[in-house]
Amino acid sequence: MATAIRIKFSRKGPVSYLGHLDVLRYFQKAIIRAGIDIRYSEGFNPHQILSFAYPLGVSMETEGDYCDIEVNSFDSIQDIVDSLNQVMNEGISVISASIVPDDKLNAMASVAMAEYNVVLNDISIVNEDIINSYLSRETIEIEKEGKKGEIKKVDIKEGILELKKNNDMLNMKLLSGSTLNIKPAQVVETLCKYENIDVNIQKIIRVEIYQSSDDDEYIPLGQF
Amino acid sequence: MKKEDRILALDHDTLMSIEKPARYIGGELNSINKAKSDIRLRFCMCFPDIYEIGMSHLGISILYGMMNSYDDVWCERVFSPWTDLDKVLREKNIPLFALESQDPVKDFDFLGITLQYEMCYTNVLQILDLSMIPIYQRDRGMDEKLGKYPIVIGGGPCIYNAEPIADFFDIFYIGEGETMYRALFDLYEESKEKGLTRKEFLVEAAKLRGIYVPCLYDVKYNEDNTIKSMNPIVEGIPATVKKEVVKELDDVFFPTKPIVPFIRATQDRIVLEVQRGCIRGCRFCQAGQIYKPIRTRSVDKLMEYAAELVKSTGYDEMSLSSLSTSDYPDLEELLNKLIDLCAEKKMNISLPSLRIDAFSLDVMSKVQDVRKTSLTFAPEAGSQRMRNVINKGLTKDNILSGATMAFQGGWNKVKLYFMLGLPFETDEDIKEIMYLCNDIAAAYYEAVPKEKRMGRVQVSASTSFFIPKPFTAFQWAPMNNMQQFIDKAELTKKTMLEQLNKKSISYKWHEAGTSVVEGVFARGDRRISDAIYYAYRNGCLFDAWTEEYKHDVWMDAFEKYGAGLDFYIFRERNVDEILPWDILDIGVNKSYLVREWENARNEKVTENCKDKCAGCGAFTYKCGICPR
Repeated sequence: MATAIRIKFSRKGPVSYLGHLDVLRYFQKAIIRAGIDIRYSEGFNPHQILSFAYPLGVSMETEGDYCDIEVNSFDSIQDIVDSLNQVMNEGISVISASIVPDDKLNAMASVAMAEYNVVLNDISIVNEDIINSYLSRETIEIEKEGKKGEIKKVDIKEGILELKKNNDMLNMKLLSGSTLNIKPAQVVETLCKYENIDVNIQKIIRVEIYQSSDDDEYIPLGQF
Repeated sequence: MKKEDRILALDHDTLMSIEKPARYIGGELNSINKAKSDIRLRFCMCFPDIYEIGMSHLGISILYGMMNSYDDVWCERVFSPWTDLDKVLREKNIPLFALESQDPVKDFDFLGITLQYEMCYTNVLQILDLSMIPIYQRDRGMDEKLGKYPIVIGGGPCIYNAEPIADFFDIFYIGEGETMYRALFDLYEESKEKGLTRKEFLVEAAKLRGIYVPCLYDVKYNEDNTIKSMNPIVEGIPATVKKEVVKELDDVFFPTKPIVPFIRATQDRIVLEVQRGCIRGCRFCQAGQIYKPIRTRSVDKLMEYAAELVKSTGYDEMSLSSLSTSDYPDLEELLNKLIDLCAEKKMNISLPSLRIDAFSLDVMSKVQDVRKTSLTFAPEAGSQRMRNVINKGLTKDNILSGATMAFQGGWNKVKLYFMLGLPFETDEDIKEIMYLCNDIAAAYYEAVPKEKRMGRVQVSASTSFFIPKPFTAFQWAPMNNMQQFIDKAELTKKTMLEQLNKKSISYKWHEAGTSVVEGVFARGDRRISDAIYYAYRNGCLFDAWTEEYKHDVWMDAFEKYGAGLDFYIFRERNVDEILPWDILDIGVNKSYLVREWENARNEKVTENCKDKCAGCGAFTYKCGICPR
């Protein structure tokens, strides 16, 4: 009987310029090097049962991203974390792992919210007044291209759960799911547009990805 | 310094503005970072094409691992920046940088460039230019102290006639890299310590085995443009430079911890080099001559490497590398062991093209999906007469019986490779390409009863245009011009349409334009350097990429510089003529090549090295298959 295991990992530095598929391929190889008894799909070209919660954009760093694997056997959760970290390349490391209970959704389906720290070229421009003014707007609209190429306006206001300064960075908690999926760049872009300021993003760090708990609270994706 | 703390040479905005920024960040698994204070010599290894192609090359991986095994040396890598980054580097005046340290290439002691195909020559100029190293060797300060600019050293198969790019290089390394780099590095470190000039160092280097320093040889020409003489201009350096070979493959360095790229390289798998050299002696083939004599690795050694490589890389696929894997003496044992290893590790094995027989079909059906894969034959020529001319020991019977066996085993796709424009070729020889394809299709309908057929058989033929190469029996042969090439491809196509089984046959041919340029580079002399420089300055880059290739600029360049296309490619050379590559000695004698040229004319087959020594001369290396 296979066991589903959720792995929490971080990435920082130059490896942040890898695309999502490169990260996937990186983990496939790391799992082989670590000697993890991962389950493979059936068929002529079997592949590892491995899936990621939320694709990492090119250049995005993370302190809390997740992937799920299924293993046929394992000694302990700590052993999986250690054996992966022994074969990791600098810049990517495994923080923790946990067994996914049978009644829980897979990582990708569980994503409800994500927290980011955003480094701007000049954070001093964004003061408390500007943030308050931005958040007290009736609507915060972005333009999106529809399926047929038509431009439509989407209100992202209710997707911005929190926006505050965190030392030299802009900290934000954004809804991330199938209904409303907000990206940090959309927040910074609308902040500039509505508040008439000019800043640009130097780095985005994903701090944590959350799921909704049974009592409708946001808890990290690796907590059950 | 830790890989994750390295400061990249390109800033965030630049990286986000170009295609695949991961090409330029370095820091991959098993890449090597060293402390600058611990080392005495910095080597930058270059494959002058994009990262994905360069990182697929085994030779670079071998030398990278070997050089970094030396405590005093740090070897890094650089590849051709794609046109998007090329533009940014020029606009912002950013010097080209090595991937590991992200330091400018111009600060290195050596820039080593591997020359795997002629069409990369303008990319070599781009590397030098973007590195801010003077493009012409003569401008690098011959009388200044060593260290002002890197020593630019070339290697790889193109250096067997490096004359067209001789003006851009300080050194060519003739032969296999494993043998002489240590001695060259010792000499460099010592010369730098003594405060020698670039020229003083180069003169000493030219005394080492396998080291060719083109600027130390003077070339004189006759009025008819042929070479009159090539002589050393300083005392004590050899008149000809002899190729270096590794005598025992089991004893040399093999990279068991190769770099694993983050982005998908063209060869994204473990590569095991099973042997070097080839016993076959096909008369068009340069690799068959320049890598002589054939030397093999033992099964035990290969299995040891395979196991280590699985652990150190995590690849899920493995492949074998050699010129003709079917000739590996212990192939059955090796493949059976590798198949077991791959099954245990849930890996795929990617088979090289094998001679089709009961054994290879059995192996193929074990590791491949028979319905999806195709069989490959490389008859190279359509008629038996032409196959005798080129010494390709493959008969129509071999092909038809192999194909029949495969059809009975469930295959229904066949790929065939041919060449057009071979010496002594007639229209009838060309037509026979399609007669053979038709016969193969017919063999399918004969071998497989109607009720067992899975649709129609697919016979895919493709032709490339023959380009005479140095150190082959055909080095004296005239090459076809573009119109002849196109006419021959049209004739092939027309013949296809006349065949009974034409619906089962498809035919593709390669571009003719690049063949002409490649032909000039293959057998050109030093006067071609200026044409390459001109073409580069007029926008030629990535010439191996069809969409980037600029035919008109090249024709213009050959019009302005050098001795012209008629001289370099369309005439038949006399066997007494001094050839630009006569400066090199690859062990294979000219008298043998002359004999082979005559045998070709007489349609006479020469036996392979295993069956009978043809006395080519490579036995002077006293290794491999050669009789002692």
